[in-house]
Amino acid sequence: MLDEPIRILIAALICWFNFMIIDLIFKLPERGGVSGATAIAQEVEKGGGKLNGGYMMGNIVSSPDASAGTLLAGCGVYCAGLPGGLFAALLVYIGNRICYDPGYAGTTGCITATFIVYGAVQSGWFAASDFIAGMVIAILTIQGLSSVHASRLIAWLWKIRCRLLRGCT
Amino acid sequence: MALEDQVPVVAGVHMIALYICAVIAVYAALRVITERNSMRKLPFLNVVSFAVTGIIALLLPHPLTIAAAAAYFVGSTLESNAIASTWAGGLKRP
Repeated sequence: MLDEPIRILIAALICWFNFMIIDLIFKLPERGGVSGATAIAQEVEKGGGKLNGGYMMGNIVSSPDASAGTLLAGCGVYCAGLPGGLFAALLVYIGNRICYDPGYAGTTGCITATFIVYGAVQSGWFAASDFIAGMVIAILTIQGLSSVHASRLIAWLWKIRCRLLRGCT
Repeated sequence: MALEDQVPVVAGVHMIALYICAVIAVYAALRVITERNSMRKLPFLNVVSFAVTGIIALLLPHPLTIAAAAAYFVGSTLESNAIASTWAGGLKRP
């Protein structure tokens, strides 16, 4: 096993790509799911950011999405192994329904993250706690450092996703 | 000598992961306080929720902790959702 700080940084990268890819596939940056998410996006745009990035940041705030799914999958595998992660997926789905969200992104993110975390723990390279701290670092880079730069990054990734997969309006 | 051998491990808790979560929670809380715009406070508040959820799970490695962590996280998300939606115009009263 590597040292814990290095493992946490690698886990942060894995978590970042897991939740970002799933959120982009499920079109979170396309529009605000609730009026609050739209309002956050407009404020981010007023501050100099991009609207599409703001939509995704607003959606992450307003409903448990793939990032929440990844965090709770890490918690689930840490506390109770594979069944814990799948139970966390159920809880994320319920949470999504409470927040007026269809719940596809959160549940899918939680299930994929469960298998990633469980596989990483079984391989002996990582501990499940690395993924909990890693996901907190990953969400810090998107929500906690600079809303302007984060929204521009998301808008740039959203453009790439639209070019590759189409289906964007 | 690996770093984790030098850091105290209390009841199987990984202290470095816990410290990272705690430092990020405090940092994000300070950002919430210093940010002027109410709507732009909410993403920082979301980071606090993530960090506290992680701390709950790291401190209490028990199967029921998942329910507690998920309940805390979904609850705080719902609160942010309610605050943002109210700020954005709220309910249309008849």
